Amino acid sequence: MAVKAFSNEWAKAFKDEVNRSSVYKSAGKGWKWTVGLVVEAEPDKHFTEAKGIVMDLFDGEARDIKVGAASDAQKCDFVITAPYTRWKEVATSQLDATKGMLQGKLKLKGDLPTIVRYTKASQEMTLCTTRIPVEWPDEK
Amino acid sequence: MARRKVKAKQGAASRGESPPKLDVDSRAEVLYADDEPSAFASMLGGLIEANVRSHSEKERDFESLKARVGIWVTDIDEGVTLEFSRGKLIVHNGLKPRRTLTIRTDADTVMSLSNLKIGLLGLPVYYDEVGRGVALKLLTGKLKIEGLLPNVTTLNTVTRIFSVQ
Repeated sequence: MAVKAFSNEWAKAFKDEVNRSSVYKSAGKGWKWTVGLVVEAEPDKHFTEAKGIVMDLFDGEARDIKVGAASDAQKCDFVITAPYTRWKEVATSQLDATKGMLQGKLKLKGDLPTIVRYTKASQEMTLCTTRIPVEWPDEK
Repeated sequence: MARRKVKAKQGAASRGESPPKLDVDSRAEVLYADDEPSAFASMLGGLIEANVRSHSEKERDFESLKARVGIWVTDIDEGVTLEFSRGKLIVHNGLKPRRTLTIRTDADTVMSLSNLKIGLLGLPVYYDEVGRGVALKLLTGKLKIEGLLPNVTTLNTVTRIFSVQ
């Protein structure tokens, strides 16, 4: 069943998907930092308020993934920021996250060598988002 | 020319974990030729700067390297020219003339290049999973390196500076 985009149900489904992934479990070994995803509002797409997704990832496991205020996500060790439409493109496999970062479509804040070292883990996390059936607010 | 300021990353430190080591006394300079560096230019410049400032062996390579290296990412149609001048790097948006080496490949392979391990004698390791992937791309033409033959040593030095492993 589809879950509302960037809702608590979506966060739970995302966490479950990450923890089901053997690829992430292996590629994320040694990771010990928090990651925040900031989804910027786009009122014309019926996404009226910015949201923050705080991911507590540790050693190949998603310990917790929560949806809250954008300001919470901005406090994480690594922060990736993009408007709603970009995140939708990522979650529907229309935008590769690596390319998106190199093009500046997704803005990354954090220690670059560390995130580059975990490229495979971040790619797998992106794939996890594409496996979640989502109800998008601009498609109602 | 825009001068990048170096800031120590605070997040991990605030959680009581080891932050990346930054040598703020490093003489390494990373500058940007364009008033608005592209996202790719900022990312590569930032990556090299962080590497050089946190690893003395990479800083030694940086201090010795004089070369103009172009990197063109084929699947996003963007590139940069890295102008290394013995302890100073100027990052240009796009490919500029008189390049020593030019690397043309896709975004994933650029990431793989920066994940190459460095082995004995400071040579990149091509026998592990990442290295084999890079070698295969080279053999199948998905990774092209212009100017490689006369500049193998330069390529190895650039790879060491670029590598996060």
